[in-house]
Amino acid sequence: MKRGYRQFRYESTESLKMAFYQIKANKTRSFLTALGVIIGIVAITMMGTAINGIDRGFDKSLAMLGYDVIYVQKSSWTTMGQWWKYRNRPDIQTEYAPQINRIIAGNPKSGLIIAVPQSSTYQASARYRDRNLEQVFSLGTNQDYLQTASGDLALGRFFTVGEAAASDMVCVVGDDIATGLFPDEPVLGQLIQIKNRKFRILGVFRKQGKFLGLFSFDNQIIMPLGAFERVYGKTMFTSIRVKIKSQGRMAEAMEELMGIMRRIRKIAPGDEENFSINEQRAFKSQLDPIKNGIAVAGIFITGMSLFVGAIGIMNITFVSVKERTREIGLRKALGARRQTILLQFLIESVMICLIGGITGVGITLFFTFALGLLVPSFPIQLSFDLVFASLAVSVLTGLISGLAPAVTASKLDPADSLRYE
Amino acid sequence: MTQKAMITMQSLCKFYEMGDQTVKALDSINLDFRLNDYAAIMGPSGSGKSTLMNILGCLDTPTTGVYELNGVNVAEMDDDELARIRNKEIGFVFQTFNLLPRLNCLRNVELPLIYAGVDPEEREERAVEALVKVGLGERIKHKPTELSGGQIQRVAIARALINKPSIILADEPTGNLDTATSKEIMTIFGELSDAGNTIILITHEEDIASYTRRVIRLRDGKIESDSRR
Repeated sequence: MKRGYRQFRYESTESLKMAFYQIKANKTRSFLTALGVIIGIVAITMMGTAINGIDRGFDKSLAMLGYDVIYVQKSSWTTMGQWWKYRNRPDIQTEYAPQINRIIAGNPKSGLIIAVPQSSTYQASARYRDRNLEQVFSLGTNQDYLQTASGDLALGRFFTVGEAAASDMVCVVGDDIATGLFPDEPVLGQLIQIKNRKFRILGVFRKQGKFLGLFSFDNQIIMPLGAFERVYGKTMFTSIRVKIKSQGRMAEAMEELMGIMRRIRKIAPGDEENFSINEQRAFKSQLDPIKNGIAVAGIFITGMSLFVGAIGIMNITFVSVKERTREIGLRKALGARRQTILLQFLIESVMICLIGGITGVGITLFFTFALGLLVPSFPIQLSFDLVFASLAVSVLTGLISGLAPAVTASKLDPADSLRYE
Repeated sequence: MTQKAMITMQSLCKFYEMGDQTVKALDSINLDFRLNDYAAIMGPSGSGKSTLMNILGCLDTPTTGVYELNGVNVAEMDDDELARIRNKEIGFVFQTFNLLPRLNCLRNVELPLIYAGVDPEEREERAVEALVKVGLGERIKHKPTELSGGQIQRVAIARALINKPSIILADEPTGNLDTATSKEIMTIFGELSDAGNTIILITHEEDIASYTRRVIRLRDGKIESDSRR
C-alpha cells in the first residue's frame, strides 16, 4: 500500500516534468491550444468582475440612502408597473410625521426613533446673477432631517428649529450647487434665487457622488418645509422618513410603522392599506434580474469558448498521443502501467488548461487594473473566489478534454507501439 | 549441469487473424532458458522471431500454451501485472535504442526505477552505477543527441540492467550500428554474460550470433534447430 503510494508520487512527479518538457518543446502549439481556454477564462472573470462591481456600486449607493431609514410613501418600490393600483391612493401628508413621533414617544419599546417629513421636486432651478442651474432636486423638511440622512456638512450649519418653524427662506445646498453657482466666491451667506424667491445659504453638504449613477445627492437644495411649500405649493411629492433603532430588526420596525400608519389613516382591520412602507433593500431585489441576465450571458459565452477550447485540446492531445506512440510503447516496456500513461496525458492537458486559465486571469487583472486607473469611479473588483473558480474550471476543462486521448494512450498495445513509425 | 529452467515454454502458439485467414506466427513452441543462458534467436523475416521476442518480453501474450517465467505462468496475466513483470524481470535493448531525447542519460536510465517506486536518491545512485558499468560514467548529464550510436546503445543497456532483471532481451541490438561499434556492444554483452546475466538476442546476422553460446533458429513459426556450444 505504502509502496503503491510512493510509486504514484514518483510517477506523477515524472509526468509533471514531462508535461513541462512537452509544453516547452511545443510553445506555439501549446499557446494556440490554450487560446480557447484563455478566452473562456477572460470572459468568465470579466463577467464576474462586472457583476461584483455592480453589486459594490449598488451597495455604496444604498449606503447613501441610509440602511437604517425606512420610508412611508404612496407607492411601493418593489412592485413597480402597477401604477393604477397606487394612483388613487390618498397623498402622504407632512402632518403624519409629528403624529408618528407622538406615538413613538408614547411607546418606550418602540423600534423607531424619529419621523421626518419631506416634500420634494426634481424640477427645481436655482440662480445666482447670470448663473443658472436646471433640474435641481429641491427638498423641504425640518431640522431633524440630518438624523435620517447619510451626508454631513462640509461648510456652515443646518437650519434650526426656529428657522424651520418660522419657514425662513434659508437653505443648505449640495456640493454641485455650491461649485456650480459660486465657482470662485465664498458660498455661505449668499442669496440664491429659487423660482421667484431669494434663499440664504446656511451650509454646504460634503460631496457624495451619484446614487446608482443616476441621481445625485450633490444636486439638492434642502430648505424648511414651510419655505418649500411657499415656493412650490402643497401638492408636491411627499414622504415620511423614519429612522429605526436597529438594522437587524428591520422587519419588526416596518411592522410597527405599518400599524402606526394604519391608526393614523384609520384603516379598518382586514382592509388593505392605502400607503406603502419602503426600505432601500427593496432596490436590491430589483437589481437581481439584471445581474442574472449578465450572469446567464456570461456563462453562455464562457461555456461556448471553453467548449471550443476543450475540443482543441482534445484534438491536440490525440495528435500528441499519435506522435508519441513509440514513447508510450517504450514506457510500457519499461514497466509503466495503464494508469501511469493515463495520468501522464491527463496531467499534460490539465497543465495546458491551467496555464491558459492563469493567463486569462492575468489578462483580466491587467484590464481591471487599467480600467481602474482610467476610470477610478467605475466600480470593479476581481475577487479571490472568482480567480479560484476560474482556475477550477480550467482544471476541469483539462480533465474532460484530456480524458479520451489519455484513455486511448493507456490502452495502446506495447508491442505494436514500439514498432510504430 | 542440471538446473531448473528460468523460462519454460510449452506448446506455445500465437495466431493472428488476417481477414478470414489465420496466420500462425508461432506454432507449438517448446523452449527452455536457464540461468546464465546466452542465446541468439535467428530466422528470416516472417519466421516469428519478433513475435517470440514480444512474448518473451511480456509485451504480448500467447494465444494458447504455457509461458512460465521463474515458475509463474505469464500467459494469463492482465496488463498491469505484465507491466510489473516487464519492470522487474526484463531488461529491453532495442535496435532503435528508444531513449527519450529530452532526458539526459541519467534520467533515461532511472526511468524503470520510477515505475518501480524507488526513491530519488537510490534511483540516482543506481543509475550512475549502471552507467559506470557500461563505461559512460563521464557522460551521465549528456542528452542522447550529444552521443554517438554506440554510446546511446550503451545507455540503453545500462537502462536494461538497472532493475537487475532476470533476463536481458535485446532485439537486433547492433542493427543500426557499424561493425566496430557492433563489436564493442557485443563485448559488453559478453561481459554481462560472464557476470552471470541471462541474455537473449534476436538477430539475423551470423557473426553476431557467433558471440553467443546457443543459437535457436526459427522458420515459419517453428523451431528449426536449437544448438548449444
